[in-house]
Amino acid sequence: MEASQLVQNLLNGLAIGSVYAIFALGYTLVFSILGIINFAHGAVFTLGAYFTYTLVVGQFENNGLLKGVNLFPDGSPFSGQPLTFALATLLGAVGAGLVAVLIERLAFRPMRSRGADPLLALVSSLGVALVIVNLIQLLVGAEIYNFPSDAYGETPPALSFTLGGNVVILRTVQVIIFAVSLVMLTVLGFVIGRTKIGKALRAVAENPGTASLLGISVDRFIVITFFLSGFVGGLAGTLVGTAFGVAGPYFGVSYGLKGLAVIVLGGLGSIPGAVLGGLVIGLAEAFVPADYSAYKDAVAFALLFAILLVRPQGLLGRSAIQKV
Amino acid sequence: MNDFLQTYGFLIATMLQAGLLGLSLYFPLQAGQLSLASPGFYALGGYVAAILLTNPSFAGLRDTLGQGIFPLTWLAGAVLGGLLGVVVGVPALRLRGIYLALATIAFVEILRVVALNLTVTGGAVGIFGIPQTFGFQDRWQYIFLFGPLLALTLLFTRQLERSRVGRALRALREDELAADAMGVPPTQYKVLAFVIGAALAGLVGAMSAPFLNTWNAKQGTFDSSITILAAVLIGGSRNIWGPVVGGALLAAVPEVLRFLADWRLVINGLVLVVASLYLPQGIVGALARLTRPRPPQRPLAPAYEKQP
Repeated sequence: MEASQLVQNLLNGLAIGSVYAIFALGYTLVFSILGIINFAHGAVFTLGAYFTYTLVVGQFENNGLLKGVNLFPDGSPFSGQPLTFALATLLGAVGAGLVAVLIERLAFRPMRSRGADPLLALVSSLGVALVIVNLIQLLVGAEIYNFPSDAYGETPPALSFTLGGNVVILRTVQVIIFAVSLVMLTVLGFVIGRTKIGKALRAVAENPGTASLLGISVDRFIVITFFLSGFVGGLAGTLVGTAFGVAGPYFGVSYGLKGLAVIVLGGLGSIPGAVLGGLVIGLAEAFVPADYSAYKDAVAFALLFAILLVRPQGLLGRSAIQKV
Repeated sequence: MNDFLQTYGFLIATMLQAGLLGLSLYFPLQAGQLSLASPGFYALGGYVAAILLTNPSFAGLRDTLGQGIFPLTWLAGAVLGGLLGVVVGVPALRLRGIYLALATIAFVEILRVVALNLTVTGGAVGIFGIPQTFGFQDRWQYIFLFGPLLALTLLFTRQLERSRVGRALRALREDELAADAMGVPPTQYKVLAFVIGAALAGLVGAMSAPFLNTWNAKQGTFDSSITILAAVLIGGSRNIWGPVVGGALLAAVPEVLRFLADWRLVINGLVLVVASLYLPQGIVGALARLTRPRPPQRPLAPAYEKQP
């Protein structure tokens, strides 16, 4: 592989890998608290993209809620599309977070209060995913939407240089994705690792019974967790929609599955694991030779299968002592 | 009677088929193993049958065997499903609970992508114009295929559950460590249960390829894994009738809800949510409790242990 190709793949892989990472973080947060996988996370991802789209299309096609909104007066350096789009992205992610809270309320909390088999929570969350995806189809239509690809002023690329006679391009949107993911991960890492809320979250994750005895409102922290999970999931949806310029009702399905591969690869319930898993899978996909690009979707699962056999707890997962 | 079969025969055949697939997932569950691999073996069996029945390179074989080609495809589907079951099962069954479930999802996805890209499987388009089994004129005639197979499978399952092997599987499901200590080799029995399920799924796939007339990569997807799992859990995962009832029911729901037109898939999702909330033991479990009150059973094998 030529040096230019290598660098290009590396950049592409890091950008997509960082989206995988923040998306998978949503799974891992919920898993670390409840010990279950929220199969509706892929649907939340789709919703995030749809919310942003609905908000922002007005800016470009005159029927969205943020229609013609300019946050800063014309002529100032911040006026125009990019900032409005950023605001829409943020609102879209908040919307996705609220939906995730609703999912918890309707599909997970009743299960918990009955002490039901966690497997049933899995089926229930799948039911919710089905409801969401089909509601989107019914209310908005099954067609695939074109995301405004000029949202961030697509041209010119953020970075473009020649290496050994070939051009390497880093798209603006890739830089934004990478930066947003990095910020997201840092903030979440800080919140969970250093703040009081994070401490309480970790206590609930460790042992809900004891945490509640210590005066922590377990239900409230589960709601917070679901909000955060939906927020990062929805954010990832918008970022992917922006990067590839499209979104549709089934947009989140393959990401939902890939996200599972990411968290298991990194180690279920581990936040650094989700990041590492996302980057590994993003890079692995970027380095699939063009001749085999049809098999790209299998890469994540081949890696997942392989890692499970060698190191079942994942790359950074704790290997707990088996209970007797 | 004929009118009835013309109208509902296809649905009944579909329900029987779904019940069979539910049972294929029930076998590993008997040993406490949550495997979502059934659609992978089902897809494999279907491809084997579709290729044997349509590929030009098997024209000679078809001419020689005549109608005998169909039983051969069943055998091939079951055997290849079982063999792949060994190949996947031996390493995968070292995993437990959610890890096993995810590994089997990965297996199904890998198979799907491979099937999507091979020439012999017809790529994304799939395989078309698969001839009908024994020259069946109507789709409802597949009841004659799926019905007896379901009866046989139920009989086999019942005998298995009553046998020494069945008791060993149950022991593994309740407490693997204790079973191991009592001299039940976990790996052998788990692989056995997994392979029986895989062979059954392969066989059903081989019978379903002519039934559906066309076979493509959509036959073995994550969605189908979930549908089958939901069927088993909603029917009841602790009784052989559970997967059959659940499979038949979930196969029928979209048809019964057809009058809701576009809303039926939304309702389908709601059915899953409500059923998992209100029927934790499944329909069969709930019925069993109605007829003869028993102390609540322990939940299914601990599927979500945080350790592998």
